[in-house]
Amino acid sequence: MSSNWADEVDGDELPQTFTDANGITTHIEFRINEDGKKVKITRRTQKKLIHDVVNKAVAARKKWPKFGKERGKPPGPDPATTNVGDNIKLKLSSTGQIVQEVDDKHESMKQQLQNKKILCRICKGDHFTTKCPYKDSLGVEDAAASSAAAAEEAAPEAEPSSGSKYIAPHMRAGASKVGDRDSMREKRDEQPTLRVTNLSEDVTEGDVSELFNRFGHISRVFLARDRETNACKGFAFVSFTMREDAQRALEAIDGRGYDNLILRVEWAKSSA
Amino acid sequence: MRPILLQGHERSLTQIKYNREGDLLFSVSKDHVVNAWFSHNGERLGTYEGHIGAVWTVDVNSTTTLLVSGSADNTAKLWDVSNGKCLKSWEFNTAVRRVQFSEDDKMILLVTEPRMGFPATLQIFNVENGATETVSSEPLTVIHPEGPKITVAAWGALNKYIVAGRENGSVALIDPKTGDCISTNKVHEATITDLQMSADRTYFITSSKDKSAKIIESEFLEVLKTYTTDTPLNSAAIMPKVQEFVVVGGGQEAMDVTRTSSRQGKFECRFWHKILEEEVGRVRGHFGPINTIAIHPDGRSFASGGEDGYVRVHHFDDDFFSFKFQI
Repeated sequence: MSSNWADEVDGDELPQTFTDANGITTHIEFRINEDGKKVKITRRTQKKLIHDVVNKAVAARKKWPKFGKERGKPPGPDPATTNVGDNIKLKLSSTGQIVQEVDDKHESMKQQLQNKKILCRICKGDHFTTKCPYKDSLGVEDAAASSAAAAEEAAPEAEPSSGSKYIAPHMRAGASKVGDRDSMREKRDEQPTLRVTNLSEDVTEGDVSELFNRFGHISRVFLARDRETNACKGFAFVSFTMREDAQRALEAIDGRGYDNLILRVEWAKSSA
Repeated sequence: MRPILLQGHERSLTQIKYNREGDLLFSVSKDHVVNAWFSHNGERLGTYEGHIGAVWTVDVNSTTTLLVSGSADNTAKLWDVSNGKCLKSWEFNTAVRRVQFSEDDKMILLVTEPRMGFPATLQIFNVENGATETVSSEPLTVIHPEGPKITVAAWGALNKYIVAGRENGSVALIDPKTGDCISTNKVHEATITDLQMSADRTYFITSSKDKSAKIIESEFLEVLKTYTTDTPLNSAAIMPKVQEFVVVGGGQEAMDVTRTSSRQGKFECRFWHKILEEEVGRVRGHFGPINTIAIHPDGRSFASGGEDGYVRVHHFDDDFFSFKFQI
């Protein structure tokens, strides 16, 4: 088809405009689009006159030219000075509960988490890790370390049966344990005791008990010291009164960094 | 509702004011400029430039022809609202903390600060024919009020008296002709930060640093209503129509803001039921203390100006108008 302008104007299909009884104006025109095809465009419009009462003075002020820093700027809000903010809900209430609004949020969060057990990754307490009072002293343990600790804990159970490792005769299954102990030792060994190894040289009893007493009551801390220098030899025994506390302490502290060294905590083997 | 944010100021807002029809909103801040805005869409009509100090206060007359502003540059200026021209500048010894047109637009009340050995004054100027640029340079009356520093003041009904709020939390009625203190009542424990008259000027609302706002009857200064909040208040306004509410706003001192989170800062406009003295709602948004609040004369929108330099204009949603307080 020819795209001559003269053909378009002289085309037999001229634009039509008519208005029906409802006041709807229909405007039909034909145009040739970029593909060279003829298209029919129908536009239906309805005009509605809306009356609005405006204060004369206000209407006059709307026509005032802009001045000052806005001089010569086009009408309409300037995005440099005028913006629309985020939607804000003004919730009106008769019960005076607005004060608790913020607390409610907190409360609902608590409710949501009620069924889930909150467990601190640092001290295994029932609070968020970020709220842990020992956050600074212990630092956040990464997930890998905790899983490693769990694996380690499971391992000793399988050990005796594996037989791949040398086990001293008196420790072997079936060996009589009770016979060669004196009563004093026996009493001490009844307490759940943890052996902490890989401590640094300048650790003191106080440091060790501070590290462990958050898990429960400690009945005894023994820190091995060098006889001459009185420096820590790198290991300590911590006795708890409750076995559960000792278990939690073991899980939490084992594999944790302390004074640039990774602590190892295990159940103390009874001394022969 | 989606607030309109007006960013015409570079420093904290000090006062905002609607004109009588509410189509224009005037804002002043510590950045020396007075801004005029269309309140329906936030478009800036223009700026009034000439001050060389923080502008503390602004007021517009009832026909929206004259604007008066008071500044820390020790001047008060009279402006032509329509084109931003300065018609008159009065010079004082100290900063001008409060200006207000009288009910009949014929006079202006100015409050100047006591400073550098100069006492505080209340000055009244005649601006009856202000548009003709023949405004008198001399005040009609100069009042040297006794007692603690006056922080805010407003004209009472029919210009019979001036209501002033003082630094020590007391309000006083002052005779504008003789300058005598007619009566005084200590209503607040701390400095009064704002004082806004009701539409008929028979009562007014005060806000104070003592964390409360009060409605006080303006003939005998009797406290009618008290709204006690948990934060120092910088401004309080009475909703003239639609709902029987008052809006109060404040927040902790600007100097303490950086030490706490914005939630703790309590930078919210609080809506209180005027009669029942119950809090009914809050509008958050500012991230600094709210310094000034103004309500549109038809009660359909309100604006707040904050220490953060923003003016937020809020047009209420439909449910605001249908709300009924359940007792």
